[in-house]
Amino acid sequence: MKQKLYVKVLKYVLVVVIVLLFFFPIYWTLTMSIKPHMEWTSAGGRIYWIPNKPTFSNYTSLFQRKVSVVSPLASTAVRPIINSLVVSVISTALTMVVGTLAAYGISRYKAGGNLPFMLLGLRMIPFAAIIVPVMVLWAYLGFVDTAHGLFILYGLATLPFAVLLMKTFFDDIPKELDEAAIVDGYSNWQAFVKYVLPLAKGGISSTALFCFILNWSDFILALILTDKDWSTIPVYLDKLQSGYVGKLYGPKAALAVIAVIPPVIFGLMIQKYLVRGLTFGAIKK
Amino acid sequence: MAYIKLDRLTKRFGKQTAVSELSLEIKENDFVALLGPSGCGKTTTMNMISGLLNPDSGKVYFDGREMNEVPPGRRGVGFVFQNYAVFTHMTAYDNIACGLKVKKVDRNEIERQVMTFAKLMKIDHLLRLNAGNLSINDMQKVALARTLVTKPRILLLDEPLSNLDAALRNVMRAELKRIHLELGQTTIYVTHDQVEAMSLADKIAVMNFAVLQQFDTPEEVYLRPKNLFVANFIGSPTMNFLQGTYRNGEILLKDFPDGRITLSSRNRSQVDGLLRHERVTVGIRPEHLEVVDREKTSALTATVVSYEPLGSETIVYLKTPGGGENILKSIMDSDYRTELNTRKGLKFEESNLYLFDDETTELVMKF
Repeated sequence: MKQKLYVKVLKYVLVVVIVLLFFFPIYWTLTMSIKPHMEWTSAGGRIYWIPNKPTFSNYTSLFQRKVSVVSPLASTAVRPIINSLVVSVISTALTMVVGTLAAYGISRYKAGGNLPFMLLGLRMIPFAAIIVPVMVLWAYLGFVDTAHGLFILYGLATLPFAVLLMKTFFDDIPKELDEAAIVDGYSNWQAFVKYVLPLAKGGISSTALFCFILNWSDFILALILTDKDWSTIPVYLDKLQSGYVGKLYGPKAALAVIAVIPPVIFGLMIQKYLVRGLTFGAIKK
Repeated sequence: MAYIKLDRLTKRFGKQTAVSELSLEIKENDFVALLGPSGCGKTTTMNMISGLLNPDSGKVYFDGREMNEVPPGRRGVGFVFQNYAVFTHMTAYDNIACGLKVKKVDRNEIERQVMTFAKLMKIDHLLRLNAGNLSINDMQKVALARTLVTKPRILLLDEPLSNLDAALRNVMRAELKRIHLELGQTTIYVTHDQVEAMSLADKIAVMNFAVLQQFDTPEEVYLRPKNLFVANFIGSPTMNFLQGTYRNGEILLKDFPDGRITLSSRNRSQVDGLLRHERVTVGIRPEHLEVVDREKTSALTATVVSYEPLGSETIVYLKTPGGGENILKSIMDSDYRTELNTRKGLKFEESNLYLFDDETTELVMKF
């Protein structure tokens, strides 16, 4: 049956509208980051859809220790960026090491009995529900505003998710592969490292990316548990305001653009694994 | 090359008993088939022999030495899995070499060995390819070569042919036989295909519901099945079974209201001596059941429901007059033709009958 012309047109219009809707915030952030002060405030009473006089001053202001109208903060964005990188990388690494081993144990040896299901339950508790006790505990331990205070919590928060996700990846790898290696004389550990891990690369890297993004973009935990030394990018973003102009949307947009870079690079690096077209070809069912 | 003794092996998974009190003795260089329907405990048995699973009770001996505490890698077994378990992220060469690498064999020696076995399996031209890109048949050969190259004393094959298509299966069956003759390892071969078991094995162990039913040569298993299960499982088409009651030298058959089998006096006295219960099942193989015109036989008649001309033979299916579900099969000559729904006589020799005790399902006697 041929579609009527107006149906076709309507379809494409709908597609275009949805695409615009999704891409507009990205476009707005990108352009905002290169607009001069006069264009990103509404002071002139005009909205600039396209930057009139593009400038990198928003970017440079983030890294200058100069108190001015648009850069009222005493600290630059350097430290938050470093903090975010350190905390996210370490917590992701922690989650992945512990999570991979746990997931393998659960998948192969049914370790922990009902633990996997309890992990799922853990995932359902919202952060807001636990943040007060965590705050008290962290204060007692002296973990507030420290790197380890953040990455331990991030590592714990993403662990259940990582374990469950990677368990399904390990379930997909036939256990005969490990067994074949074990019969050949490899130890359980060698079989895991040499033969199972390479096959699970795809699953492991996409899980890592997901955990990294969760940690990287966390706001609430970092806001509550850090003060000045270990503030991360999202917290610093929030602080970008001045009494004179209010929210500093230009520098905020610039920092947001910078913040997007690491996950994007990470994503591109493991792009070929993200497509789960991985044929675990050893099995022909 | 080793002889294997399994002593009352038992393995349970939760409440399910996978293998129960399994005892077997396998001679050096024998090719033994473990035959049974899926879920009967064949693979569990293999895993216990290889050491991948520890039995709950019972012992495994190789050459008289207890193996229960010996880890899989030190038992000298080779295991080819049903799904081959080829490492798809490596080349065929690395796959075959992996068992030697772990034993720290010298590199030149590895290369020599890999080439020898690749040639034996006729895959020496594929060694540089990624194992994931091989055809299923070549993967199978890689899996076999990888196992054989370590020179295992005992070769365990878990349904190695079941993933191949029919034509390749016949080719690989012949290959396996050739390789076994050439290398002579003690081999245990798991299969649910009785044709494979009959054609390859020196001895067949038939299993069902975790229990060993019979362990004998293929001929014995075929000619003298120990019980109803073995009789039903071995042979294609399957054996015909007729339930009935034995009384005074006569078997009254449930499916034939007016028919009975009267035993000769010599057999009668034997049955009287052996049979404990009066309810029995009579077994007869399709090749021993002949369909004839009604006038030519006195006793049993049945109605033809269909027939399949297979070229070399024709299988005739018949409905019994008792109206039960029991459909009898008869193998006739290739040119046999008949009209459907006609009543025919059934002819057979008394000497081809099997008599099973219905209560115990055991074979009472083969006449």
